[in-house]
Amino acid sequence: MAETTGDRPAGGQPAAAGGPGRVLVAVYGVFALAAGARAAVQLSTRFAEAPVAYLLSALAAAVYVVATVALARGGRRVALVAITVELVGVLVVGTLSLVDRAAFPDETVWSGYGRGYLFIPLVLPVVGLLYLRRATRTPSP
Amino acid sequence: MIVPLVVAVTVVAGLLALAGVASTLAHRRIGLLHLWGAALLELLLLVQAGIAVVLLLGEERLADTPTFLGYLAGIVLLPIAGALWARTEPSRWAGTVLAVAAGAVGVMVWRLQELWEATGG
Repeated sequence: MAETTGDRPAGGQPAAAGGPGRVLVAVYGVFALAAGARAAVQLSTRFAEAPVAYLLSALAAAVYVVATVALARGGRRVALVAITVELVGVLVVGTLSLVDRAAFPDETVWSGYGRGYLFIPLVLPVVGLLYLRRATRTPSP
Repeated sequence: MIVPLVVAVTVVAGLLALAGVASTLAHRRIGLLHLWGAALLELLLLVQAGIAVVLLLGEERLADTPTFLGYLAGIVLLPIAGALWARTEPSRWAGTVLAVAAGAVGVMVWRLQELWEATGG
């Protein structure tokens, strides 16, 4: 196989995700959905129990939504910021949830470094950053 | 929620994921087989969602109804979103996109089953 089939540069317009990038968008979309549903339920039904944990849960959902949209539409800079926040978030929340279990009574997508989600939340931002780096390196006319 | 239906959803989702990965490995785009598979999966999910909602309106009580409904709403969107996102992809990666959606359905349906079995008492 030759180079990535994903890039479709169109005269200065940001190229929409294609090829392997589209798979990445699909995975991000699933997590945006899962984290969003979870955060919505937590915030609307038991916010007072653990406000910090549930606000972080909502932040995670927002980050996934932004990253999904940015990757899908080719917004490199926004995607880069969102995925970096995601990586920091999963590391910080993952550590906090293990150190201070009382503050995180309910699992969030980032609890225990994404343990409840096959550690995909931990791997995903790394894959996302590698993808962005490779996509940026690809020479565009 | 009916266990045989959960199993049927898992089997169809698994086969759809395999078909998706196979088309990527074979360097081919997705075909009618994939779209029919996604349609069948969606049909099963809608039937199951309908049964669950009817039972909930009746006697059934869950420990965590909002979470259950959140997952239920999410899972019926997945095959549609996956199929739409895969259909507009002209390369062999379309199959993997569909496989991601199908795999997520296969996992989520068991999470739904867990939530269903936890009754409010």
